[in-house]
Amino acid sequence: MTDLIIETNQLCKSFKDKPALCGLDLKVPAGSIFGFLGRNGAGKTTTIKTLMGLLHADSGSASVFATPVADADRSVEIRRRIGFVTEDKELYPYMTVEQIIRFTRPFFPTWRDELAQRYMELFELPPKRKIPDLSKGMRSKLMLLLAISHQAELLVLDEPTDGLDPAATEDVLRELVAIAAASGTTIFFSSHQLVEVERIADHIGIIHRGKLVATGSLDDMKAQYQRLNVVLADSVSPPAHWPEGVESVRQEGRVLSILASHNVDAIVEQARAIPGSTVERFPVTLTEIFLEHTRSN
Amino acid sequence: MLCYKGWLETRFKLLFTLGFVCLNLSMMHSYSSNIKTSVLLFMVTLMSQMMVMLACGMLAGAGINTQPTFQAAKGLHGSTLFTLSLPVSRLRLLTVRACIGWLESVGFSAAFCCAMWFASPLLRAKVAPFDLFKYALTLIVCSSAIYLLSVLLATFLDEIWRIWGTMIAAVALGWLSVHTYLPASFDFVRAIGKNSPLYTHTMPWSAMAFSLALSAAFFYAALKIAQAREY
Repeated sequence: MTDLIIETNQLCKSFKDKPALCGLDLKVPAGSIFGFLGRNGAGKTTTIKTLMGLLHADSGSASVFATPVADADRSVEIRRRIGFVTEDKELYPYMTVEQIIRFTRPFFPTWRDELAQRYMELFELPPKRKIPDLSKGMRSKLMLLLAISHQAELLVLDEPTDGLDPAATEDVLRELVAIAAASGTTIFFSSHQLVEVERIADHIGIIHRGKLVATGSLDDMKAQYQRLNVVLADSVSPPAHWPEGVESVRQEGRVLSILASHNVDAIVEQARAIPGSTVERFPVTLTEIFLEHTRSN
Repeated sequence: MLCYKGWLETRFKLLFTLGFVCLNLSMMHSYSSNIKTSVLLFMVTLMSQMMVMLACGMLAGAGINTQPTFQAAKGLHGSTLFTLSLPVSRLRLLTVRACIGWLESVGFSAAFCCAMWFASPLLRAKVAPFDLFKYALTLIVCSSAIYLLSVLLATFLDEIWRIWGTMIAAVALGWLSVHTYLPASFDFVRAIGKNSPLYTHTMPWSAMAFSLALSAAFFYAALKIAQAREY
């Protein structure tokens, strides 16, 4: 059985009777780069904050490194092993870049100055500049530096490339992959940038209205999900019922577009059984999978 | 390092408060030559009360929410999430920050009493140094309740509202002390005013003890709120 770095069971959290998480069952394997996807307000940041001990779950359980996050004393130990990039990328406005680095270093016994120096140069961070004078992209990079210079076993990144230009995004993504490859660090990150996620993640979780609606390895998901285009003969109606595994069916003229999440062979067989029809199979992108699971209805 | 953070958060506030003191002391220096002892003592105690309350309001903090709302992006928490992501308990964050502010306010009270002594020749002529020392000690202990109240407010109020809240609470306590009958053993505001060692030449131990007990209660409440609060 794969070791799990993050595990939640039936995690629920509401804000003033408005549910944010409804029975979230999340499992993040050790050593994975886990892309956590969802629309705005789906519950991504609530999940991350609960894992970091910033919010208290109403019910269910959450553990990181097999340690319950609800235990305040032990959550300090959890945080010592985590590098965290917050959603808002806010740091102390009264400190300079080098002051915040000097401030953060003593909290982490595993901090490596040479790593911090390397990222300072790679991210082109001006050491003497005050934090309010940094752009949002610069602040993102600085937070990443603080998160990765102590060789965290788990990186929890809430929209890590938000505000970065394409070149900086490229640097950051390359560095994240290098860190995961070199040290086996687990990376759990939320993002709206599906292209980025598809590029670096090996596991995916899609959250919608507080529930995990799809999860697994990206390769498995892409192998399972297929789009079938069925061209119907004239005056032939499509069947009313399809086998299990059909996520959606759309019809434009004589063409049926079917998204299948599993059981694809049985679905193809049924499509071919329609008199005069032709069936083509296509691989799907992460964007298609995401959109299918996060449509409002 | 949390001490360093606390110092960076409070240094300009401390400077501002000290600047205010200098202004008051210069006024005291220019007027003190023609006034009676009773008026002088009234001025000294009133000014001390005001200055210490100002210092308590300015220097207190809970170490978690370290930015006024206007400095943080709308709807977000400023640097709070970064602070809480550090491997430090909320108890330690609160304690270190509260201690930094308290030490600064202690230093402020001591410095203020010394400065008054040197700024006012009349005070040197009318008040024994040991009485002033006792007064400084009373000031430090009795103002700690106001300081810890401000720390408590800092756990759930934005900075601007916390300062206002502390000032309003301090004024309300002063009003209660003057206009209602509070037993002297509980009236720590009067203990740095009419019942202070400058008038009575004795330490108001019971009021000081009450102030310390209240301070402990405020700190405990602040801790409970800080630990339970969600961000």
